[in-house]
Amino acid sequence: MDNLLFFPLLLIISSVVAAAVAILYSLVLPGIERKVQARIQQRIGPPILTPGFWSVLKFGYKRRIEPTAQIPGLYKSLVYFGVGIIVLIFLFSTPYWWAVLGWGSVLGIAGLLKLEEVLYVLMGSQSQSFLSAGMPVPDLAKGSKHVGIRREFVEQHSAERALKMMAIGSLPFYIALLVPFAMAKSGMISSVVAMQNPAYMLTSEWWSVPLPSNPVIFTLPGIIAALVYFVGYVMLLNEKPFSILKAKIDLIEGGVLEYASKLRAYYYLMRNMLMFALSSIFVTLFIGIPFDPFMPLMMLLNIALSLILPVMLATLVAFSPILTFRQIYPAAIGLSAFGILALVISLGV
Amino acid sequence: MASGEKRVEIEKELSFGPVHPALIEPYRIRLFVNDEIVEDCELNINMAYRGIEKLFDGLPVERALLIAERVCGICSHVHAWNAVRVIEGGLSIVVPPRANYIRVLTNEMQRITSHLILFGHAFEVVGHETFAMRSFLLRESFMDLISYVGGNRVMPSVPIIGGVRPRADLTESLKRVILERVDEFEEKYKGYVTRIIEDPLVMSRLTGIGFLTKEDAVRFYATGPTGRASGWDYDVRTKMDEYKPFEFNVITDESCDTKARIVVRALEIFESLKIIRQVVKSLPEGPVVNQSWKAEEMDFTTAYLEAYRGELMHSYALDSHGRIRNYKIRTPTPTNLAAMEHACVGDHVTEAILTIASCDPCLTCCTRAEVVDSGRSRILSDFEIVQKYGWRK
Repeated sequence: MDNLLFFPLLLIISSVVAAAVAILYSLVLPGIERKVQARIQQRIGPPILTPGFWSVLKFGYKRRIEPTAQIPGLYKSLVYFGVGIIVLIFLFSTPYWWAVLGWGSVLGIAGLLKLEEVLYVLMGSQSQSFLSAGMPVPDLAKGSKHVGIRREFVEQHSAERALKMMAIGSLPFYIALLVPFAMAKSGMISSVVAMQNPAYMLTSEWWSVPLPSNPVIFTLPGIIAALVYFVGYVMLLNEKPFSILKAKIDLIEGGVLEYASKLRAYYYLMRNMLMFALSSIFVTLFIGIPFDPFMPLMMLLNIALSLILPVMLATLVAFSPILTFRQIYPAAIGLSAFGILALVISLGV
Repeated sequence: MASGEKRVEIEKELSFGPVHPALIEPYRIRLFVNDEIVEDCELNINMAYRGIEKLFDGLPVERALLIAERVCGICSHVHAWNAVRVIEGGLSIVVPPRANYIRVLTNEMQRITSHLILFGHAFEVVGHETFAMRSFLLRESFMDLISYVGGNRVMPSVPIIGGVRPRADLTESLKRVILERVDEFEEKYKGYVTRIIEDPLVMSRLTGIGFLTKEDAVRFYATGPTGRASGWDYDVRTKMDEYKPFEFNVITDESCDTKARIVVRALEIFESLKIIRQVVKSLPEGPVVNQSWKAEEMDFTTAYLEAYRGELMHSYALDSHGRIRNYKIRTPTPTNLAAMEHACVGDHVTEAILTIASCDPCLTCCTRAEVVDSGRSRILSDFEIVQKYGWRK
């Protein structure tokens, strides 16, 4: 009875602590990623705090510039939705949410991630920056090769690419996400952690560090799924080699081009948070160390291990070109096949 | 559209520029696409007309040639050299062999820097920052060497009428430095090229896109590495007296795609290194400049040179006071432009930009006089310019 009374309070405190730590850490994470990338490229790279913390702070203080999107209110709200969705994705992977209405499950995470992907489609379809809409060029006056052809803004084209990425690009990620759940024969995160780290589920001492006895990543389907998860992580972050929806060379920044000042700060926050949230979920699901705000040492371990994916990402980005759909489709199909293989093996296990 | 030509349905137009963070010059790319596949392309370049040809008019020839060097910042030497070749050809000025060797040396050193800039730009377009940065890092050794020879990294001003500036003469110690740097560069460059060729992701981006057949290359007169990558064995250097003492191969590739254009340039750098070594090792003794000439009336004379992007033409006449009349420059890009538009067709949008970049356009250098007349714009011919504005006396 006491537990039932205190549970909402603990849930709120846990959520506030988790969200605060995650936001603070996500302000540092991009700096680490950029530093690793720079070192690979034989550059010094930016100071650790610059890409995350200082850029968010700087944009937070810039004079507000109103976007010329088709529905500016909707366009502006999308970035707030994005931050909210990602904070929720992260919170659902923390232990106190595991028991709430089934949110701490594969459906909670995958559903919200899909929603986050939809945001890019909406952003692209809404945005019409001055580079597209406001540029008076004498093409038609000079006599075009093709007259009366519909013109599409780069942002709108980005929305089309986002849709393609949503349909096929991120498929491997969701398949890989299923593997730990399939191994635990349950859709709940708590079961996945309990399978890997039974000591954690039994302990109630806040200072203890119960280590996993049977991490998913050290199994055959687990390691295959982890690799696929990593590539899917890159795809969801729209980072090279899968950054086609914001390829600098043609679409510049895609649908997020118009986010300036505070909105850009929120966009950075959203992206940084996603980078951390997916890393933390990886550590929870594949290694069995959850982000527990009431067990500081476990939390720190989760944070430390959450560096694995961003460091791998930095290495991949340094050595990768941007792939076009000519390469992305086969890559996504191949990775999905690997994911399905891992899934089949895990069901056998 | 000509009759009999296949009619394509265009779904939409995607246009980039003239203000675009990824375009290094102000131009506009209009891609007519179906889904993301380019069906047609139009490049609009007249965004930065500098009127440099008009600046030459009436200037004493010695002064004017300094402007010629400033047509382009990447191929400054080739413009300066071709500008002096015009008057040297027109007035039969004898150039000492040592001066010719030094001109060739500077030309080949700058060819290497130009090709490395293209790699830097192309790999930026591909999205591979590491290769792009390595390319610029490698380029530094030759930028230094150019400054040792000419005194400036970008505008070395090596050629003057009748030879080269005495400052650009090679000393024994400089010859040693050049040979050492060339060896050092070659080793690093081989590693760089090997890494590119062995990178499957990069190769997948470059291979099988931007096709330009040999027939099309000849039809559009796509000279330089762009044409040679389509199997067209055309290099002005093979016809130049200045290059007769040197042994080198004209690199061609039959693949006709974007990869071929990169590979041809990559291999041309090795040929340039070969020429540089020959220049330094067999540099003849003697003066570096012949000053026994006098500017006098000269009929229109034209000189061609193999610039780093293709065939370069300079043409002008001198009046009785030795002042320049109607300077005309045709950089390699105007003829390569049509080839670029053609090569894009069938590519994915992102690949089309890479195809254009792989042809190494230098658009601001090639933008020429244009008159907008009642809604239509057109390029004036030489005759029309003279008719409209007259000779500048």
